[in-house]
Amino acid sequence: MAASSPPPTLSQSLALVWRTLRSMRTALILLLLLALASVAGSLVPQSPNSPARVLAYRQDHPLAGALYQRLGLFDVFGTWWFALITTLLFVSLVACLVPRTRALLRAVGQRPVQAREIDAFPQYRERRVSSAPGDAIVASERILRRRFFRVARDPDRPALAAEKGILREGGSLLFHWAFILVLIGVIYGKGTGFSGRAVIVEGDTWVDAAANYDGQIRAGRFFDGRFTGIGVRLIDFEDRYERTGQPMDFVSRVELLDADGEPIRREDIRVNHPAGIEGLRLYQYGFGWAPVVVVRRDGGPIASEPIVFVQDEAPEGVPQLAMPWRGVLKLPSLDPQVGIELELWPDSRAFVQMLETGEPVAMTSAFQPLIRYAVWSGRLTDPSPLSLDTTNMTREATGIVGADQVVALEDGAVVDDPAAAGGLTIGFPELRKYTVLQVSRDAGVPFVLLAAILILLGLLPALYGSRRKVWVRAEPDGEGSVLKVGGFALQRKARFEEEFPRLVDALARAAGEAPAPQEERVGIR
Amino acid sequence: MTATEWARISNDAFNVALFAYLAAMVAYFAYLAFRRTSIWTVARTLAFVGLAANIVSVVARGLAADRVPWGNMYEYSSLLALLVVAGYLLIVEGYYGIRTLGGFALMFAVFTMAIAVSFLYVGPGPLVPALNSYWIKIHVVAAISGSSLLALGSIATILYLIQDRVERRRTAALAARDPAPIMGGSIDLDVPPDFAPDADEPATPASGDRRGRLPSAATLDRVAYRVYAFAFPIWTFAVIAGAIWAQEAWGRYWGWDPKETWSFITWVIFAGYLHARATSGWKGRRAAVIAMVGFVALLITYYAVNLWIVGLHSYAK
Repeated sequence: MAASSPPPTLSQSLALVWRTLRSMRTALILLLLLALASVAGSLVPQSPNSPARVLAYRQDHPLAGALYQRLGLFDVFGTWWFALITTLLFVSLVACLVPRTRALLRAVGQRPVQAREIDAFPQYRERRVSSAPGDAIVASERILRRRFFRVARDPDRPALAAEKGILREGGSLLFHWAFILVLIGVIYGKGTGFSGRAVIVEGDTWVDAAANYDGQIRAGRFFDGRFTGIGVRLIDFEDRYERTGQPMDFVSRVELLDADGEPIRREDIRVNHPAGIEGLRLYQYGFGWAPVVVVRRDGGPIASEPIVFVQDEAPEGVPQLAMPWRGVLKLPSLDPQVGIELELWPDSRAFVQMLETGEPVAMTSAFQPLIRYAVWSGRLTDPSPLSLDTTNMTREATGIVGADQVVALEDGAVVDDPAAAGGLTIGFPELRKYTVLQVSRDAGVPFVLLAAILILLGLLPALYGSRRKVWVRAEPDGEGSVLKVGGFALQRKARFEEEFPRLVDALARAAGEAPAPQEERVGIR
Repeated sequence: MTATEWARISNDAFNVALFAYLAAMVAYFAYLAFRRTSIWTVARTLAFVGLAANIVSVVARGLAADRVPWGNMYEYSSLLALLVVAGYLLIVEGYYGIRTLGGFALMFAVFTMAIAVSFLYVGPGPLVPALNSYWIKIHVVAAISGSSLLALGSIATILYLIQDRVERRRTAALAARDPAPIMGGSIDLDVPPDFAPDADEPATPASGDRRGRLPSAATLDRVAYRVYAFAFPIWTFAVIAGAIWAQEAWGRYWGWDPKETWSFITWVIFAGYLHARATSGWKGRRAAVIAMVGFVALLITYYAVNLWIVGLHSYAK
């Protein structure tokens, strides 16, 4: 800038920023930046998707881990800079779309403009026809309209101007505007929605309320905190496998209940086959074993309930289903307090095999299940139902209890009549399954789906359409007239070169082709 | 016939297809070198034999497993090779009449199938529950068709970059030999005036020089663009269908899973390419380089995400 020129005013600076944002170059660079940020998000483990791997990474690489944490690389898609790129891209998009949309609306309202010298266009042909000039133009207009051209007649002479292909720009605009709809749908849906997990044991009913979710509820910023109160009763859960151990099917057979506990209908929830009720969607997420464990003191039951068991992650090379299931039973009412660690082997043959050969065997179904237990007494400090903190406790006894057996906790001896037995006994009368359903609400889905359809609808004419302009003029020539046709295409010019002669043929035929069609000038200028 | 017999037929046909493609590749390169129509006839026949065997292999595989034959990486690769060769024979050779790109298209098919049979082979079996949905028919078909077309376009782009370099050198050499005409000496005077920037038109005008082994850079550039423009909506649809399936299976349409992320990256880069084509200063080489980056992203989406990056698509090994 020359030294004498005044500094730019605020509005000038803003105009410059606006122009820069509007340019295709900016949009291109932003698109490539978006791709680059996504690459980072796929190479570094992401905490929303796999928190365990993030933790492991931070332990293995403390320095890089701390740096990544600082830069937000463990949650790329939630960082301020990812939001900034996206926002700038959308601002650039709107800045580009507004003037283009205005221009398109103007163009739709405008009639095609007459041309003065039509023989100067890239495509130009002349034909002798038998109709009078006025009739020839009327016939041409009919043919062009039938081919979806917009036609304007010249008021002063037998001539017309025609164009088509506005859909190309319209499609392109629709494609781009639809992304704004995607953004609205995502913000609305994620903002007002939530997702959480429900753990339901066979025979039990789960009610949609904040306290009944397992672990954390992932709720959007504008979530109103209202839950429906609907109920889900798990009739049974079935998992089927191939002989190779490959899973075949996971089904939760459920009965859906309304907020008053009245049954509404039954559903089978499978992987790829969720159930929907009152804006909630229920997805098959996981499953496990929930043995019913009964503990008696001096013959009277003090605990009798299904306990949700979980598995440790299998080490490399061991099938997940070969891992035993772990559960915890806490008896805080006793003095001293008692905690029992339980280890379930749903298929006792696998347990025997493990003892004899050390080889893990996948347990795809229950067969004479057994539970190994370890009794700890002392003070219960860990409130979690899934884990037992044994630091302040002493181990009293260990043993094994089979299905339908009752054993004395102290020495592991089988008890024949539990009601009459003294001391603590443990029984394992029933083995049930539980299912884990993912429950989520996302009211934005229909908007995003609609936007996706519009994106596709817009993309096709935007990529394959082309704007074509054609002018026709008829001049008297003896009995009939000479039809002069000129035109050009803004896109797909090679194809228009093939289309144009066919169009001229059709126009000439409609206007009554002269007996000996004598082309006076042909060619592509 | 029993499933075992179908499985054997599928494997045999796979090998026939692989070797026929290999032979066709050699023949196509020989045609590129010597330009004898007889060599081309042989190459084309071999390619069709390979294609037929490939189709038999895919169909027999489906009959052996009693489901759609695209349930794991081995099967995807076989289908991808099939579609690349079919796409080449129908679009590039059939529609555009370009015969010199066959060697490159078949080379892609041979690599894909060789990698599949060496590293990715699994016997036919049922689908895991996560894949057992009618969306597998829609999403995977769209994804493989889109991938095969993007791969075809990328072959044209690679050759465009080579040929463009050759032509530039030749023009520079000619310019050095002949002094520039003083005024109006250009042979381009009767080229129509450009009315608007247009993504369809090649950045470098056709030189009319037919001595090169390959089609002119302008032709390659145009073919590449048309193929990408054909592939892009299909790829877009594949991503959308994947999102709909994800909503059905996992309860969210988008979760930045590595496969989702990389298909999005590929989409963004090719969207960038299409925009670059319509931007002055970015047409030609720069746009072609963007497309090449997109091709690398496609390969990562296809191979690396399934094999090395842990995510929800890891079962599709």
